Amino acid sequence: MDQTLSPAPILELRGISKHYRSRGRSGRGGGQDVVALDQISLDFRPAEIFGLVGESGSGKTTCGRLIVGLEKADQGEMVLQGRSYGTLKGQALRDYRRQVQIIFQDPYQSLNPQISILDSVAEPLVTNRIGDGKSRLEKVLATLKAVGLAPPEDYAYRFPHQLSGGQRQRVAIARAMILGPKVLVADEPTSMLDASYSAQIFDILLEVRQRLDTTIILITHSLAAARYLCDRIAVIYRGHLMEVGPAETIISNPRHPYTQALIDATPKFGDCASLPRYGTLVSPERPASGAAGCAFFRRCGLAHLARCARQAPELRPLTPGHLVACHYSEESPDPETGATCRLGGMS
Amino acid sequence: MALLEVHNLSIAYRTKRGLLQAVDNVSFSLEQGRSLGLVGESGCGKTTIGMALMGLLPRNGRVTGGGITLAGRDLLALTRQQWRELRWREIAMIFQAAMNALNPVQRVGEQIAEAILTHNPQMPRAQALSQVEGLYQLVGLPLERLRDYPHQYSGGMKQRAVIAMALACNPKVIVADEPTTALDVIVQDQILQETKSLQKEFNIGIIFISHDISIVAEVCHHIGIMYAGQMVETGSVAEVFSQARHPYTRALLGSFPALGGARRRLSPIAGEPPRLIGQLPGCRFCARCPVSGHSCKLEPPQWRQFSDSHFVLCDHCE
Repeated sequence: MDQTLSPAPILELRGISKHYRSRGRSGRGGGQDVVALDQISLDFRPAEIFGLVGESGSGKTTCGRLIVGLEKADQGEMVLQGRSYGTLKGQALRDYRRQVQIIFQDPYQSLNPQISILDSVAEPLVTNRIGDGKSRLEKVLATLKAVGLAPPEDYAYRFPHQLSGGQRQRVAIARAMILGPKVLVADEPTSMLDASYSAQIFDILLEVRQRLDTTIILITHSLAAARYLCDRIAVIYRGHLMEVGPAETIISNPRHPYTQALIDATPKFGDCASLPRYGTLVSPERPASGAAGCAFFRRCGLAHLARCARQAPELRPLTPGHLVACHYSEESPDPETGATCRLGGMS
Repeated sequence: MALLEVHNLSIAYRTKRGLLQAVDNVSFSLEQGRSLGLVGESGCGKTTIGMALMGLLPRNGRVTGGGITLAGRDLLALTRQQWRELRWREIAMIFQAAMNALNPVQRVGEQIAEAILTHNPQMPRAQALSQVEGLYQLVGLPLERLRDYPHQYSGGMKQRAVIAMALACNPKVIVADEPTTALDVIVQDQILQETKSLQKEFNIGIIFISHDISIVAEVCHHIGIMYAGQMVETGSVAEVFSQARHPYTRALLGSFPALGGARRRLSPIAGEPPRLIGQLPGCRFCARCPVSGHSCKLEPPQWRQFSDSHFVLCDHCE
């Protein structure tokens, strides 16, 4: 990966793989390993918002859980500021966990219903033995205010059921941010929320990055949300990276047929309501090609039956910073009616 | 005359804290073969309207005013027996969370056949089953999955099965309540395209309920924007998206990230919708509205007409 122009990464994934063993013989995956992540290498830069985009089952959530240490990788290495996660023990491991925090998808389940907002948000301070009662209270109130729950005294003594979904998600952000982490993993933070609330959450994430220089890894299924928030995007499919690059490039000039299929499928309105389609998806799916081929082979309209079924393409740079895992990325099609009308455009 | 006509419909729920006015004075109509999207945030009353259209309001809910007519028939005057005959045959529903709408211990094909037999008791079972095969082909489900149980289906397949069930008795109107919310974007797209083509083929009227304005833009001819129990703007999709007039519609559009066009800054809508218990004089959006004037708090807003189909409930829209 070309890193001559970019600052040193704050967090690196090097060849991370994760398999889940499925139990039992019934069902489709019986007795076989399910590949959640296969040889994923990514670097996250300081203060960037990085989007990890994929469908359910793509491994994006597994990736987020690995980063915060909720899962253990089978292979590969994770390096935070030059130190490898695998070698950390004791205090160093606790420090790592302080630096890397997560907010979950469902704010109705991620907060303990029996604990007040104050205690929920203060819990990381208590666990890490930081400050005393008075300083913790001050810190909690300041953090609540920073996520837009003002005046904070109004919210601190309430319980989760007294808050709306948007407010709960803010509490979850406050709890993740109270230790001042370097990296924040946001796993579908708005998929349970209404549009007006999700825009509020987006704003808070942008502000967190701006004020604290936190690196945010946004896990999402929505290319539109990723385009809005992210500096760079990685598209992931069945545990394999398909395309990585600057957000605007991925949206306006996608070179992987899967990225193109995702863009086709995203409902469009307003300015881009009647854009031409790339049409790179085959239906019905092809039969499986065996383990060696491209992960997207079964659904890919461009696939070369011999080459793509047998040989998995490597993730390689098309231009500096824009990586694509497709044998035919140079020649993948423009939208049907020509290249003049494209997504994206002026910032 | 329109196929489905909803006229000044009001619906209230009895709650512990008092009467909750979930739907207030909502009117719309649906022509045969057209689709209307009802869009709004949770609690705006869109699902309540869907349930009222199906005669399935919960026990504490009651229509307090207005009327619903389907092909000239007054739905609010129906007895339970009449409802049972009309429901699914004239008007069918695709429920929210289709994943849970199927009986887990019955084969999917049989469930659909049973729905057909319930409404056509004279029909031989074999004929019902062959109808189900036709439905499977229609919604793009492989026939060899007829004898599978719901848990063997993927999310998209369950959704297709539920759509097949809604189509089973050839209804004139289908109410689709968030039919693709739990699905991945590629599957969602396939289902939406399928719904569109089925609608054309069978000339069905669809009421499409969603919180996602971009989905409605994709599938519907007309759109009604709802806020706090009221319809606040209605018009053709083109009108509402290109010339949104109501401040709430504009705010809603402004808070949605788009895939194309300039990468503008989103503007979230500050505050929360009002509670719908007790008296709500004036405009319900005024506390969050960027253009509200003094009178908005006191006087209910009036409908203003901008074209044959474009109406806006606001006194300050230009």
